[in-house]
Amino acid sequence: MSSKPKKADYQPSEAEKASAAVAMAEQRYFKEKYDPLLQQVRDQSRSDDRQKTLRGRANADTMQTLAGGANYDAAASGRSGGDMAQAYQGQMAQANTAAKDIQNKQQLGVLGTARGQAADAQSGMAQAASMGASQALSRAAANQQVREAKTAALGQIGTSLIMQGAKNMSTKAPVMDEGVQRLDAEGNPMFTSGSFFSPVDQQGNKVTGFRDRLGASGFTNTNPFGSN
Amino acid sequence: MYSNYNYSSTAALPNVSDPEKAYAQITRQQYMDYVQNYRSFEEEMLEKAQTDTSLIDQAREDSAAAQGLMTGVANRNAARYGVQLTPAQQQEQARQLQRASTLGSVDAINNSRIAQSEANQALLADLVNIGQGVNRSSLNQLSSAANNHTQRENAYRQASAASKAQTYSTIGSLGAAAIFAFAL
Repeated sequence: MSSKPKKADYQPSEAEKASAAVAMAEQRYFKEKYDPLLQQVRDQSRSDDRQKTLRGRANADTMQTLAGGANYDAAASGRSGGDMAQAYQGQMAQANTAAKDIQNKQQLGVLGTARGQAADAQSGMAQAASMGASQALSRAAANQQVREAKTAALGQIGTSLIMQGAKNMSTKAPVMDEGVQRLDAEGNPMFTSGSFFSPVDQQGNKVTGFRDRLGASGFTNTNPFGSN
Repeated sequence: MYSNYNYSSTAALPNVSDPEKAYAQITRQQYMDYVQNYRSFEEEMLEKAQTDTSLIDQAREDSAAAQGLMTGVANRNAARYGVQLTPAQQQEQARQLQRASTLGSVDAINNSRIAQSEANQALLADLVNIGQGVNRSSLNQLSSAANNHTQRENAYRQASAASKAQTYSTIGSLGAAAIFAFAL
């Protein structure tokens, strides 16, 4: 009988295991070394340090530009204060906008990296698993083919055994007694028949032994016109 | 952390006995790490992209402070140069500073509104882009997993069917041989 396909034949290939091992090692290394850094950048992006820096710079620029040229006329007229107020507010607004832009880009970078790296790792491992799967399937198919060939061979041997057994049982020879065929109680001629495993020759003797069997089978008969 | 492999040393490769299980574990762990470390961060950003008014709020604060700051600057400059302003001049200076501060405040807040809107829109667009990438990646991954599973299932079914066919064929030939041999 043909054996069922074994689950063991559908195991991952060595290349697949190696690929998975490397991917696992790299992923672990990333988790230990790079992920904490990314989390640091995430926390930094939440702070308002950059906004403070940019606002301080904008404030200094405004004062240096407008208050640096202070003189008696400007102080006496009192008009410079209005210009400075407008410039101060405009510069601060620009600093706030620039800081917001930097913060948003940094946060997007963190999120994009976290999401992207996860997706890359997963798709890479999926590809390795896919390659290994096709190799495992080919190997399983080949093993299954071998098993089927063995089963077919067993079937042929079994068939030959039955046919030969039947042929052996069909052999028979008259039971002779001093040159005359013996009769049974009802007067019918008596015959001796072969068994499943042993035919009888023309003299009624059971054919046993390798040499006698070879001769009786006619396998070695090379005469094209019949048996010797 | 990953029960399906072990390290003989820190420099050696892990021994992965079952890549499929390891893959499942690492994928699951990756997602759990994301949830733990970045999920709230992402939700903050999504919320911020839709509701953030920090630029406008800051512009209002700056406008409120500007008039007081510039009044102090004008007074210090006047004192530095020994300027003695008449009450009429002082009133005119205060009016002029208030007018300029108000105009500056309106201008700064209006600009901040525009800047806030642009920043929020840009942030939202980039977030949606990231989300779309995640969605695409997830679907591709799921498709790959489903294809692998289907391929394995099909191969196993085909092998089982071939095995059954071979078994029945063998039984049939043995039976036929018996029938012919014994003339049943």
